[in-house]
Amino acid sequence: MKNLRTIILFAFHCTLFTATAQVGAPYIHDPSTIVECDGKYFTFGTGGGGLISDDGWTWRSGGVRPGGGAAPDAMKIGNRYLVIYGATGGGLFGNHNGRILTMWNNTLDPESPNFKYTEAIEVASSDGMEDCDAIDPSLLLDPTTGRLWATYGTYWGSIRLIELDPKTGERVKGNVEQDVAIDCEATDLIYRDGWYYLLGTHGTCCDGVNSTYNIIVGRSKSVTGPYYDNVGRDMLKGGGRMVINAGDRVTGPGHFGRTVIDEGVEIMSCHYEADFDMSGRSVLGIRPLLWKNGWPYAGDRFHDGTYEIESERRGYSLELGVNFVRIEQQRQGGFRRVDPNEPVKPIPDQQLADVVSTWPTGEIAVRCSDYMFRPHQHWTISAVPEAGGFLGGPYCKITIAGTDRALAATENLELTTVPQFNGSDEQLWRIEQLIDGTYRIMPKRIPGQKAINTKYVIYSAGDSTPTLAEYDFNSDNSKWNLKRR
Amino acid sequence: MKTLNLMFMLGFPLAVTAQNPIIHNQFAADPTARVFNNRVYVYPSHDIVPPEGARQDWFCMGDYHVFSSENLTDWVDHGVFLDQKDVQWGNPTGFSMWAPDCVEKNGTYYFYFPNGSRIGRGFAIGVATAKSPEGPFTCEPEPIKGISGIDPCVLMDNDGQSYIYWSGMGIRGAKLKSNMKEVDGELQTMTMPQRPGGNAPEGAAPRTFTVAGQNMEGLPDGFKEGPFVFRRGDWYYLTFPWVRGDTSNGANPTETLAYAMSKNPLGPWDFKGIIMAEHANHCWTNHHSIIEYKGQWYLFYHHNDFSPRDDKRRSPCIDKISFRPDGTIVEVKPTMRGVGVSPATSRIDVDRYSEASKDVTTDYVDTLNYFRGFYASLPSKTSWLRYGDVDFSGLSADDYLSVSVKASANTELLLHEGGPKGKIIARVPITVVSQMGNFRRDMSGRWLTLTAPLQYIPKGVADLCVTGDSLSIDWVQFKNRRDYFTPITSPTARPDDEGFIRRWMLLEPIDNPEANSNLLFSWTYLQDNLLNPSKLPKPLPAMPRDGQKVKYGKQSLIWHAMESNSYNVRLFRFADLLQKATYRVCFWAVTAIDCPEDIPNVRLAAGSNGASMWWIEPAEGRTAENDNPVLTLESDRRMVADDGMSPRLTLKKGRNIIRCAVVNGPGLSDFCVRFVDEKGNPVTNFEIKN
Repeated sequence: MKNLRTIILFAFHCTLFTATAQVGAPYIHDPSTIVECDGKYFTFGTGGGGLISDDGWTWRSGGVRPGGGAAPDAMKIGNRYLVIYGATGGGLFGNHNGRILTMWNNTLDPESPNFKYTEAIEVASSDGMEDCDAIDPSLLLDPTTGRLWATYGTYWGSIRLIELDPKTGERVKGNVEQDVAIDCEATDLIYRDGWYYLLGTHGTCCDGVNSTYNIIVGRSKSVTGPYYDNVGRDMLKGGGRMVINAGDRVTGPGHFGRTVIDEGVEIMSCHYEADFDMSGRSVLGIRPLLWKNGWPYAGDRFHDGTYEIESERRGYSLELGVNFVRIEQQRQGGFRRVDPNEPVKPIPDQQLADVVSTWPTGEIAVRCSDYMFRPHQHWTISAVPEAGGFLGGPYCKITIAGTDRALAATENLELTTVPQFNGSDEQLWRIEQLIDGTYRIMPKRIPGQKAINTKYVIYSAGDSTPTLAEYDFNSDNSKWNLKRR
Repeated sequence: MKTLNLMFMLGFPLAVTAQNPIIHNQFAADPTARVFNNRVYVYPSHDIVPPEGARQDWFCMGDYHVFSSENLTDWVDHGVFLDQKDVQWGNPTGFSMWAPDCVEKNGTYYFYFPNGSRIGRGFAIGVATAKSPEGPFTCEPEPIKGISGIDPCVLMDNDGQSYIYWSGMGIRGAKLKSNMKEVDGELQTMTMPQRPGGNAPEGAAPRTFTVAGQNMEGLPDGFKEGPFVFRRGDWYYLTFPWVRGDTSNGANPTETLAYAMSKNPLGPWDFKGIIMAEHANHCWTNHHSIIEYKGQWYLFYHHNDFSPRDDKRRSPCIDKISFRPDGTIVEVKPTMRGVGVSPATSRIDVDRYSEASKDVTTDYVDTLNYFRGFYASLPSKTSWLRYGDVDFSGLSADDYLSVSVKASANTELLLHEGGPKGKIIARVPITVVSQMGNFRRDMSGRWLTLTAPLQYIPKGVADLCVTGDSLSIDWVQFKNRRDYFTPITSPTARPDDEGFIRRWMLLEPIDNPEANSNLLFSWTYLQDNLLNPSKLPKPLPAMPRDGQKVKYGKQSLIWHAMESNSYNVRLFRFADLLQKATYRVCFWAVTAIDCPEDIPNVRLAAGSNGASMWWIEPAEGRTAENDNPVLTLESDRRMVADDGMSPRLTLKKGRNIIRCAVVNGPGLSDFCVRFVDEKGNPVTNFEIKN
């Protein structure tokens, strides 16, 4: 009986739910790069405080960051967490004398007995007259050198780069701040594949649905710049290539943060100045981070819908292992024998009702084959809110469109479909867009295994044979294209 | 520049200029100063907080740093040059690297230092040599034979003979051999009775020692250590920390600095008295050196400024010292100000003042980290403090003052030249509580960095005086404002290498008070305000003259010829320099370019903060016919190079006038403009004449 109740509940929710922004109470401005600590996720925002999530999908307030000020950043260095933030400045009360401070904590979890910030120390400042307003700091621990860098600044003057000591969080002695960009704020510095990327927030914030905030990027082979955009324009001349802007009922993405989940699986965090579905509030946004020709851009938010699931391996489509049902058609013959005077007429798509009676009623295996836009090749993917989520997305069910027949993982690492979705973990799917725009699709749990699955994905064993196997970004067998139908 | 280069080379510049103490980022005791190559080197011992396992309530020094300066103000830390682990004969974990000395002979630097022996408990004195005063120093494998004691000091006499002095069973001295590593003369065997109450059993035989040199005769009773001997004229001075107080009643009097004089380097000595009295805060030790540098004599000594609760972590200080005609020394009162001239553009810790009204107090900025220094509190209208010797050269009227202050209510700080009645250099209103609409800001009791323009700039070196009522001050710093514009000296200019036009006639900003958001600047808004003849400045000359006045409503505005130092023309700074409104304003800019021929098929490429309109007009000026802008950047713009482009156009042979208007709300107004060809390359074959 329990199953039945769940099904009803799910059916009810699915009609209302669109998998868009984060759920819970994700209200924040200028979220710091998401940091994992003791199995929870944390991000801090402007003004103090921050968000906590147990699964990376449902967020609540409760983060603790003293000092106020604007746009902090946080990262784990060794066994400790370094938090950097700006105090005062930011044009509030006409004031541009900002201070950048760092402080450490052994944990970010305010419920931990080890939670205690060290006294904040100043690492940079602006005196209110110079061409800089020292707010909005961000951190980069350079993986190639182990050196710690911070950028800060806003529209009021330039964005500046300084070096910090990764052991103490203090400014490196003798380090002279350097201008690296203008015309942006809430910057972030990242490193990938030989390039340093400086991401800035352009446009105007804090005007609700009319905010024009957007995120731009320039890159350099050296952390100290110069940072050029894709047409060779220096960020010191206002250059920058768009990473994300408004769309999909959210406006004003700002304050970039990058999190690498797995090889080829990256997300970017930001806030939207206004979510049109949430009273125009400023909320946390998490989007797939994609890379094209060495440039980052935000992937779209994934929406519930009906999709073709196409293998990157050969281009075959995931389908139910049922008989191919031919569509009857009056034969038109070879092109010479067509009567050009006879009017053309459309042929309707094959409908589920045309074929469903030919399908078995129990479990049906899946396979891959040529996509012929037939009912057994159309999958409805929809979030299952009660199932929670992972960093950046909700668990989904994958059902044959128009039915409740659900894709499921089996104990022996194969795939099947069951006639009725029942909410169990092997029928829940974690869908993540990879940096090349393809997707990986993994079951929440493999039957018989205790742990939540983070390893096995739908995988092309052969062109026609999908299975579950270990994720490998370097193999197209791990990758799928989701095409909206 | 030499100092600067050296600092960059070594990477250890100290951000603060020296008041007392002179080293702000670590402890450093027993400062022995020496002059090498016209530069002062200080070889202190290096106090540290005892690590776990070391005795916690005792001196703890495991290595040596050397610092140097050529102005006694900027000190360079050359880093560690000798560690206790590098001393073969020493205890590698003894933390007993006490007060050292360093002298130069024939291009070799001889560093003398005491250390606990590897075996046993006594101190010996080692030598390390180097070819540079900064090291690296190589340590001799054995300590100097015949010296058991601490606090070595070496005198290089004028006749080439060297002497070494140390403390151990009183203060002793001896000739050094010319190799500087051995004592000259026979070692004597000395017997000492067992110390009453010592560890030896009653009736034990007296202790015997092999000892070099001789006792320095003529010194007063009482504990003495740390000899420092120098020669001035015919006089030799033996100076030393000395406990003069009475210890018989169980009191614990502390050290003075005292001295004796003689015509002979090894005495006998004629005791003369005190150089510096006991430290007022009962810091038990003092230890010193005396040098002449650039015609002035200086006393280096130490005090526990950054360790007020533990007098075994000390910091070096400097004060001037002077002599009477008879050669005796004038007693030195320790100052917070110390010596040297503070450049006005350095961060000046005025809390280390030279003199102040009686009600002024100082305290630590951070009692968890004393190295963060001090601040001074001025409690009343009549409070003042004077900080001596600030070098104001290099400041100009555009420069400004930056100051770190806190207060509990709105007040004002004034900076004067010389004293509290001196000319006012700057006036800093301190607003700690303010209200903006519904937002109330309360910064009472918090440190604020505030800036203020300069009303007056003293000439050369002068004293700085701070007055203020109910406020605290940490530091002041004068700052050179960046030069955003250069005066125009040549009749023509060219675009820069990237084609940006930097020379303009700029009109003082027109107030536009309703422009609270840049989203206002729609196409319609720009049409209504920048194309409407009734809303334009009058007259709007084709090519204004520098200094020409125009009317705009009630505003009387002046055109200024300006050459920007950057590719972008910083309108905000232009207005700021003229002390005009900087936000919610509209700027007009005009320039004339002369083309040697028709330049077809180019585009005007511009960026602006915020919205802007651009015209290209014939020399005769704007008419109804050519009123159409070639480019409009509307709405919420930022100054991005090549943000917008005009349609393809032809720059006519001869004079073309480029005009723009930039409107802005809250941002830093600026624009940049150039002409580019079909491929986006800059067009530069024209002259700018205005």
